[in-house]
Amino acid sequence: MIGEATSSGGGGKDDSPAAVSAKKNKKPNYSRFTQQELPACKPILTPGWVITSFIVVGVVFIPIGLASLYASEHVVEIVERYDKDCIPPDYRNNSLHYIQTSETDKNCTMTINVPKHMKSPVFIYYELDNFYQNHRRYVKSRSDKQLRSKASEGTTETCKPEAVTSNGQPIVPCGLVAWSLFNDTYKFSVKKEVLNVSKKDIAWKSDQEHKFGSDIYPKNFQSGSLIGGGKLDPSIPLSEQVDLIVWMRTAALPNFRKLYGKIEKDLQANTTITVTIENNYNTYSFGGKKKLVLSTTSWIGGKNNFLGRAYIAIGGLCLFLAVCFVFVYLLKPRPLGDPSYLSWNRNPSGQMN
Amino acid sequence: MDSQNPFEVRHGSRGGDIELLGLSHKEIGDDDARLVYLNDPVKSNERYEFAGNSIRTSKYSVFTFLPRNLFRQFHRVAYIYFLIIAVLNQLPQLAVFGRGASIMPLAFVLSVTAVKDAYEDWRRHRSDRVENNRLAWVLVDDEFQQKKWKDIQVGEILKIQANETFPCDIVLLSTSEPTGVAFVQTVNLDGESNLKTRYAKQETISKIPEEEMINGLIKCERPNRNIYGFQANMEVEGKRLSLGPSNILLRGCELKNTAWAIGVAVYCGRETKAMLNSSGAPSKRSHLETRMNFETIILSLFLILLCSIVSICAAVWLRDRKDELDILPFYRRKDFAHGAPQNFNYYGWGLEIFFTFLMSVIVFQIMIPISLYISMELVRVGQAYFMIRDMLLYDEESNSRFQCRSLNINEDLGQIKYVFSDKTGTLTENKMEFQRASIWGVDYSGGRTISRNDPVQAVDGKILQPKMQVKVDPQLLELSRCGKDTKGAKHVHDFLLALAACNTIVPLVVDETSDSTVKLLEYQGESPDEQALAYAAAAYGFMLTERTSGHIVINIQGERQRFNVLGLHEFDSDRKRMSVILGCPDKTVKVFVKGADTSMFSVIDRSLNMNIIHATEAHLQTYSSMGLRTLVFGIRELNNSEFEQWYLAFEAASTAIIGRAALLRKVANNVENSLIILGASAIEDKLQQGVPEAIESLRTAGIKAWVLTGDKQETAISIGYSSKLLTSKMTSIIINSNSKQSSRKSLEDALVTSKKLTITSEITHNTGASDAAAVNPVALIIDGTSLVHILDSELEELLFELASKCSVVLCCRVAPLQKAGIVALVKNRTRDMTLAIGDGANDVSMIQMADVGVGISGREGQQAVMASDFAMGQFRFLVPLLLVHGHWNYQRMGYMILYNFYRNAVFVLVLFWYVICTSFTLTTAITEWSSMLYSIIYTALPTIVVGILDKDLSRRTLLKYPQLYGAGHRQEAYNSKLFWLTIIDTLWQSVAVFSIPLFAYWASSIDGSSIGDLWTLAVVILVNLHLAMDISRWSWITHAVIWGSIIATFICVTIIDAVPIFSGYWAIFHVAKTGLFWLCLLAIVLAALIPRYVVKYLYQYYSPCDIQIAREAEKFGSPRELRNTRIDTNPILGSPHR
Repeated sequence: MIGEATSSGGGGKDDSPAAVSAKKNKKPNYSRFTQQELPACKPILTPGWVITSFIVVGVVFIPIGLASLYASEHVVEIVERYDKDCIPPDYRNNSLHYIQTSETDKNCTMTINVPKHMKSPVFIYYELDNFYQNHRRYVKSRSDKQLRSKASEGTTETCKPEAVTSNGQPIVPCGLVAWSLFNDTYKFSVKKEVLNVSKKDIAWKSDQEHKFGSDIYPKNFQSGSLIGGGKLDPSIPLSEQVDLIVWMRTAALPNFRKLYGKIEKDLQANTTITVTIENNYNTYSFGGKKKLVLSTTSWIGGKNNFLGRAYIAIGGLCLFLAVCFVFVYLLKPRPLGDPSYLSWNRNPSGQMN
Repeated sequence: MDSQNPFEVRHGSRGGDIELLGLSHKEIGDDDARLVYLNDPVKSNERYEFAGNSIRTSKYSVFTFLPRNLFRQFHRVAYIYFLIIAVLNQLPQLAVFGRGASIMPLAFVLSVTAVKDAYEDWRRHRSDRVENNRLAWVLVDDEFQQKKWKDIQVGEILKIQANETFPCDIVLLSTSEPTGVAFVQTVNLDGESNLKTRYAKQETISKIPEEEMINGLIKCERPNRNIYGFQANMEVEGKRLSLGPSNILLRGCELKNTAWAIGVAVYCGRETKAMLNSSGAPSKRSHLETRMNFETIILSLFLILLCSIVSICAAVWLRDRKDELDILPFYRRKDFAHGAPQNFNYYGWGLEIFFTFLMSVIVFQIMIPISLYISMELVRVGQAYFMIRDMLLYDEESNSRFQCRSLNINEDLGQIKYVFSDKTGTLTENKMEFQRASIWGVDYSGGRTISRNDPVQAVDGKILQPKMQVKVDPQLLELSRCGKDTKGAKHVHDFLLALAACNTIVPLVVDETSDSTVKLLEYQGESPDEQALAYAAAAYGFMLTERTSGHIVINIQGERQRFNVLGLHEFDSDRKRMSVILGCPDKTVKVFVKGADTSMFSVIDRSLNMNIIHATEAHLQTYSSMGLRTLVFGIRELNNSEFEQWYLAFEAASTAIIGRAALLRKVANNVENSLIILGASAIEDKLQQGVPEAIESLRTAGIKAWVLTGDKQETAISIGYSSKLLTSKMTSIIINSNSKQSSRKSLEDALVTSKKLTITSEITHNTGASDAAAVNPVALIIDGTSLVHILDSELEELLFELASKCSVVLCCRVAPLQKAGIVALVKNRTRDMTLAIGDGANDVSMIQMADVGVGISGREGQQAVMASDFAMGQFRFLVPLLLVHGHWNYQRMGYMILYNFYRNAVFVLVLFWYVICTSFTLTTAITEWSSMLYSIIYTALPTIVVGILDKDLSRRTLLKYPQLYGAGHRQEAYNSKLFWLTIIDTLWQSVAVFSIPLFAYWASSIDGSSIGDLWTLAVVILVNLHLAMDISRWSWITHAVIWGSIIATFICVTIIDAVPIFSGYWAIFHVAKTGLFWLCLLAIVLAALIPRYVVKYLYQYYSPCDIQIAREAEKFGSPRELRNTRIDTNPILGSPHR
């Protein structure tokens, strides 16, 4: 690239003789831009500015922290682990067999006590642990194209090893993610009165409308020799398979919750809820826990104190630093921009060294 | 960017060529020669395929563009790394990213460069076409016909009219001048605007090609790039003539002041010297970049460490679960689809681990900041833009801007420790002015009035007037008009005749006056000294008005006199003198010699006129101590036998083919002796404007100045004083020795002296400062003879030790190669940066040797500029160049490198922490597109703009406190401490970015894409704010680019999330609706930046560096330039916390 400058040695490339070009004034035009003199502000970390900024951060962060802690405290959350309790005592040592055979009765009943008043809607989650929905093999094993429309039903290359049936028919929905669909079910009742579980709006509307097609129906699903999880009703299009849609939005972390449904009814304090669980899903093979979660919500989301504490910690630290800096400043101030502090102006005996 | 050997590229210096000619004792062998048959292109081209005259500067054609351009681009290691990663990613087992995403960055960079290259090449194609279709007169069938340049062949005879450009390299046969002289302008070739003379051989002058066939054979050397050398011989009519550089006309030059010239094409097209020379400046690598490579290796080790951790953990994970893997829902090793279960996408434990390693290299690839190399290049282009357009670096007088010829070493300008400067033309203007003369022992120094002698000397009814006016001494003027009757007047006459005749000046008559009766006489010559002398002679009434190869005409006091130039021994650096043998109108033959005093006094007959010689010597002493350049003149009359003897020898020598230069030198030495002294001239070489101030500034900045000059010691010292290089406070140590032993002794003595001085100064001042030399400075003055014994011997060590104790070193009487030797002496022994600045051909070697070479585009031609990395018009521009631009460039580039390391590492680390949560399988929550766009769109622009535009200090402050330049010497902007601090900061920031969302969303229903978006935005905002925190000047461009980048990131993330087939469809819209998302973002940025903010503040406030204080002074003003008592220390801050 640099060579070009001299290549005019190739002879009179610029047709104008040197005399003409010499007369052209090459003086650079003045502009604030080319002289690098654009108006600019020059921030400097003065003690005043630094201390003020810390105080402001402290003053803003501590209330936010308190508010989110408050919100989090008001979220009522019930977490019940059931993977162990739902194995009949006879099968305790052979839970894998229990879950894999179709002969055993998978039903199991638990009671939950509502500690505090839970305002509607009460969200029902299942929580899995040690389940790597973010595993590379797993995440990749799906076909977003296939999910969208009937036309691309056959695009299953990315879905292996759950792409096609043994006779070559495409599996819809294909891939490990769909194959391992969670299929425990929960039924809730209070004093024999059934609590309705609403599945309305548990999946993202955007997914239902654009990601999962309304013309594509489950096909050849869970027809192989190894059943991974839930089955789907072949008469319902994918866009209505809300449980599948929720499941297919893979979790970020190995310990995750997924929305199961909503109870659109207030639950009074000290109510005892009976839950009938159909314990189908195999987490026993990899030692994963299963939990049932009932939770209300707040502006901050679910129950999580971490952020509130973090905010209070950051805010507190800033205030603390502000105070420290004030003290240090009062004890040992330095005049700003004093040329006598310049290294070559310092007294050679050197109080600054 | 072909990396040719930089030393090949350059034109040989003129001094070197003389040597070259002298050394080439062997005749051109038939194997090495090219045979050109005159006027017979068919035969000429029969045996060898000589290149045709069409040229191609373009590099590609339509078909070869793609492969060749790609091939060139992949010469960069960075691109190969990119490519390997992209190829790895194409393997199905390793396909971490989608195909499109993984190729995008490479494709982006390649295509941008390709478009640029294509455009440049298109322009080259166009200019080639114009060039090739120009027309020239070629002899075809005994008449000159017009032919396109591209059709000209070797061996054809061409006719060139005045002001036309030569289409190829041509051996001159005849010209419109009866003497066969042709004047050419070589400005296109070497930038020198004075006219040069070229000669046709006597034997061919009279030939008229249209009428008689010229038969002949030219045997010449192979094409080479030496534009000052040509060796050939020509056989015409059975006679063998030798041809030299003065017989060839080179492509690109123009014919001037000659109606026509006829010649034969010997080199065509790409074999012409002009084309062979059209290659670029060599690429140097900056110091900072070399250091950076070391840190890049550390980063690669770090990358390998990360990958190893991932693969080891993956290995453990796989081994722990080896029994579960078959049906593990998220692994499913077995594929049951086709009868018997078989392993799916599993290649055994060992291979899986190996693949994991490779995949992690792919995912963490940007740990090695490849984009940094591209950004650095862009930043340098930007910095060059501003340097070129800086008004401070524009030279009004020569109308020249600053030139950045090398784009790789901008930042080196901020770390220069040694400046090696030429004197003539660099410190001084090289605008010679005749000041004084000592004639026959009498000093004439009254030249105070501009001469208004009556130069009304009519030639052809016109009045000729020299272009330059010279101040004359009235007494000498009076004497010069007395003719040569009295004895005193005769010497004056001879002296002035010597001034006018003993030179190679070509007088040109130019019409530049408004008065049509007055014509200006301009003296064209290669030496400004000769010009000054010729103008001086003209002012005293000895006006050289005409020169042809055989005679000169001098208008002596209005009387035209013709002198035959019988012979001319040109100046060479061995003899250090030149002579001319004139046949005077009174039939006497005289030899006039002029030269340096040392060389002249050895050939002057000391038995005669002792008192005159002594007086002249005394005058010379005075002149030198005033800083004037002196020349001594001598004369001898040759009697007939002497003349005959000389003439035969001269004829023999000048037609010799073997060792012509050496023979000529011998002839010259024989005739240049027993001279009668005439006198001496003193020419002033004025200091350039602002030189003393510039040297003062450089010294204050801690830069050591060395002056290397060919001048005499006295001249050098006096210039040293007038330029404030030497001051009266300094102790000078002078070394003049003639042998190795005496050199050793004087060096050792000098060392003892300098040590003593340093120790005493340390005691008296009791300073802790290491640079004691600054307190009691020592100046070392050493001459070329001593250097001959010192350089390339074990004494070099001693000299270096001594020189490093001195604040100024002055080397006089040094040869061009010695200059390079001195630069190498320093460069090889310290890690400090060296800069060489000079303007002439003799500085080329030094300019190439130094880390940074600066050329002054001055009067001595363009060779120094062609060899340099930077070129400018005046020495004083060195101060703004180093102190302002150098400082800025260094600070910017140093920061930019650190920032780019940080920027990429923080992103990689965020990916790495997440990998730990995905059972080490290299899933990224951040989408692959964001990963790729990260260093292209999200964060690229701000660092480039900051690298080009940010200024830590204003120009005024930097010039006011040159000491601030020390930041570069102390490597304050980039060092290993800063690197490791940055790495620690990076670790903390990545932990903050990763862990806050991790804990906030632990066991929640967050999906991978949403948290990925959060991380993407958090990292981008964080790195941009990190940069924002370190910006010193916020102009609107900076604002636009920083906030623009953040906004662009939001837009890109939104667009990516709006594509339904991506798994993260609509995630950003969902997650951005929750308060938790925004709170996380805020907390991340604050938590990540607080430690840096605190450390930065504490460091700046309690252990401020000079730059920091100067910045504060710039902003708040320094209220107390003078020290005051401590009482009024506090009010400076109207601190808000009180």
